Amino acid sequence: MASRRGVVFGIAAFAAGVMSIRYARSFLEPLPEFQDLTDPVGFREISGGPSSTGFDPFVGLADPNERTRLRTPSDVRQNLCKALFGETDENFGFVPLASFSDYYCPYCRVQTKRLAGLAEQLGAGVKVVWHELPLLGDTSMLAAKAALAAKRQGAYVQFHERLLSSPFQATPEYLQLLAESLDLDHARLVSDMESKDVLQELDTSSILSEIFGFIGTPALVVGRTVIQGQISDRNLLKIIDLERSEGWAQVC
Amino acid sequence: MGTGMLMARSKCQVILLVLTSIVFSVLQNHAAQAEVSAKFNSPAVTAALISVQNGVAPDANTISAGLDLDLGEGWKAYWRSPGEVGLPPEIDWSRSQNVANVKMLWPAPTRFTAFGIENFGYSDEVVFPLEVQLEQPGKPVSLFARVSLLICSNVCVPQNFELSLTLPSGIGIDNKSASRLSEFIARVPLEEKDAQLESAIAHVDDGFSELTISVKAAAPFQAPDVFPELGTGTALGKPDIRLGDRGTLLWARFTVLSYDEERSRPPIVTVTDGAGRAFTVTPDRVETQPAPPFRLNVLGPGIDQLAWIALVAFLGGMILNAMPCVLPVLSIKLSSALKQQGRDKQVVRGGFLAAAAGVMVFMWGLAAVLFLLQRFGVMVGWGLQFQNPVFLALMFTVLAVFSANLFGLFEIALPSGLQTRLSNTGRRHGYTSDFFTGLFGAVMATPCSAPFLGTAIAFALAGRGTDLLIVFTFLGLGLATPYLVVAASPRLVTFLPKPGRWMVGLKLVLGLLLVVTALWLFWVLTGVAGTRAAIAVAALSAALILVQSRGGLSPRLRWPGIAVLSILPLVASTMLAQPAANHVSATTQEWTAFDRAEIARLVSRGEVVFVDVTADWCLTCKANKALVLDREPVLQALRSDDVTQMQADWTRPNEAISRYLEGFNRFGIPFNAVYGPGAPNGIVLSEILSAATVLQALEDARLATPVAAAQN
Repeated sequence: MASRRGVVFGIAAFAAGVMSIRYARSFLEPLPEFQDLTDPVGFREISGGPSSTGFDPFVGLADPNERTRLRTPSDVRQNLCKALFGETDENFGFVPLASFSDYYCPYCRVQTKRLAGLAEQLGAGVKVVWHELPLLGDTSMLAAKAALAAKRQGAYVQFHERLLSSPFQATPEYLQLLAESLDLDHARLVSDMESKDVLQELDTSSILSEIFGFIGTPALVVGRTVIQGQISDRNLLKIIDLERSEGWAQVC
Repeated sequence: MGTGMLMARSKCQVILLVLTSIVFSVLQNHAAQAEVSAKFNSPAVTAALISVQNGVAPDANTISAGLDLDLGEGWKAYWRSPGEVGLPPEIDWSRSQNVANVKMLWPAPTRFTAFGIENFGYSDEVVFPLEVQLEQPGKPVSLFARVSLLICSNVCVPQNFELSLTLPSGIGIDNKSASRLSEFIARVPLEEKDAQLESAIAHVDDGFSELTISVKAAAPFQAPDVFPELGTGTALGKPDIRLGDRGTLLWARFTVLSYDEERSRPPIVTVTDGAGRAFTVTPDRVETQPAPPFRLNVLGPGIDQLAWIALVAFLGGMILNAMPCVLPVLSIKLSSALKQQGRDKQVVRGGFLAAAAGVMVFMWGLAAVLFLLQRFGVMVGWGLQFQNPVFLALMFTVLAVFSANLFGLFEIALPSGLQTRLSNTGRRHGYTSDFFTGLFGAVMATPCSAPFLGTAIAFALAGRGTDLLIVFTFLGLGLATPYLVVAASPRLVTFLPKPGRWMVGLKLVLGLLLVVTALWLFWVLTGVAGTRAAIAVAALSAALILVQSRGGLSPRLRWPGIAVLSILPLVASTMLAQPAANHVSATTQEWTAFDRAEIARLVSRGEVVFVDVTADWCLTCKANKALVLDREPVLQALRSDDVTQMQADWTRPNEAISRYLEGFNRFGIPFNAVYGPGAPNGIVLSEILSAATVLQALEDARLATPVAAAQN
């Protein structure tokens, strides 16, 4: 009997040991190493990330009838920080997060929700700027326009949450229903979708994705750190802290 | 060979072609050199064009090729219908030479749920077989593919790349490519005619809220999955898949998450079963939803619940003896027993046991009938009877007449033949009349049981056959208790109180109870059939009582009068019933009307929705409302800004509400559920509410902050 009890104890101790090591490891998870980008200067990415392991940066699935852009790369480069993070006043007390997402990308939805939660949690400490990067065809583009139009009525996150329960459809009825359910001005939503303002914003995001060499969506720029793909909440918070203490505004 | 025939080339023919080519190559003893395009490499995927043939044989019309994708760990590519998100690969062949047409075949997909979203596609590796038709048979071919491919892991990466493969004229087979291609050709779903199916049907309901399919195959399924396609813009939820007929009947139901009428098409359905079996069928559209091979017992009554229900049924059965329906029968039986006090104990005992047997036989008969009705899919539910004005009118009339009887307005005279027989019980040695006394008592009990036994009977009707049997057995045992008690100890008969003044008092109390019940039924009838019908029923019942109580009428007028006046209330209740529009909806400012679609909409906005399905005839619902919902602290919690209170009024039959309840495998009410970001599928509350459970459910539904959700 004694030996059997011993075995049970042994197993329990071993399991507890493994669990505590795992927990400790996750707690002590080191900050990822960074690697400076050659272009744009001043920014950096996480070493070993997908963009540094041989992905070609792509600008979307082939679109034969691409319209001429309303902005040029040199426009955007002239004030990169403004393009990326919007208007930033002189007081750089917060850390900006620029989120790039696409409707057809499953993980983008999760990231949008996470960032929205984070923004709520950290309050004035962070500022999330939403970019749409519709790389995946027509519906993707329409959804992006609708999201940006919703953003103009302060309902960007709600719009994305809505997509979780019912997928975007490229029909006028859908937009009508959408506007109703999110308490938006329908006429304004529709006219905003094709407005110069929205198109210009899409172009800015698309040029930014080329400048930073994003391989796909979602992509995230936290201060001066480019993050592609999944990152743990803990590490994201660490990077935000780091950006705050190092002074991300030096790149601007 | 014409192009049309080529187009019709089936998968089998392709396999045959591949196999013969392999044999051919072996005969040629040709040292195969891999015929593969230059590879496209990225960290997520390696792609290449492969070809079975090393060259285009003289007079060859087709080439068997494939797009070979080797996906990195965690990366996925999509099927032709990718699900809610994702995009299928596309290939542009326009820069190829000597190519008339390329047909791409889609190996059977697998289902993966990424971040809560249903997707269909491939992981690890996939080869899309390509049937290349040549413009000029036997001439060299140059395949040039511009591929647009979306692959996703926790990032989605669109990949645009070009692959080219040139085959000269010549003979030769690449064994490696051939075997790889045939492996994936085998995974392409069979066509309907090759799949050995007996039938395939699909049903989409009018509101496009559910798709149900049913496929009967010759061979049984093991662990099937079903992938319907209804055109782009239509997204479906996770299926509820059930097997029947020893696994040969496949039944699946999908909730339609979104429906785009313009781009929709009749459903085609791909079924996979493990790695080895897959087929695609175009099911016949049917008007009625195919019934599932079995019902899932979501409620899953445990032994304790069953014991509780059995106890309720037993007590209910006992109480029934005191009901005016049964009391006359029982008292006849007992008073006849009083007369027999000097007789043989065995005879008395036998007589009472026979009466108990009569009760049980009737109850089991009733259970069997209900069970059969259930089997044949007839919607039996206790509550449903209360939506029927005829049933309500019958109940009202019966109750009114009995209460009048108890108040002494008239005596119920059983048909003289029966009465003689009943009172003659003791004189014969056969127990037939005892048996029928019990049976008659049970028959009489049925109309009276409704208001008091709703819960137990609703439970039985919603449950399995065994539940039904248990409930009715205990109901019968309860009803037979007086007989059984006397049978156990015939001497008890002597202790029965002697008839006297106390009986008048009891009669008055029972009469009052019945009047209250009748008034309640009148109110329910007003809700179901309108005031006009209810007043007509009440007036006719009053007339019936009047005719019965007036002794002056000659029998010739009296009996037909009673007969006509018994039928008229039932006729009036339906004839004069007013349409539902006149029925003022119970919704108030606090309660919005039930709208199933609205629930998802509100939840997606982060709101909490409290659904209350109620009806005028549901006493438990009224009790829940008065004791829990309309009282603090629940009242305040329900009225907070982020809570929407939704009320579904089931007083009259309502298809949408019935279906909603059936979705939870409930067939009766009260029914309450709470939805919210933390519980998008709803938390179902128990039938009898308590403040604590309601508040807890509201909190649970509200919970799940976005951050917490993302970590899961």
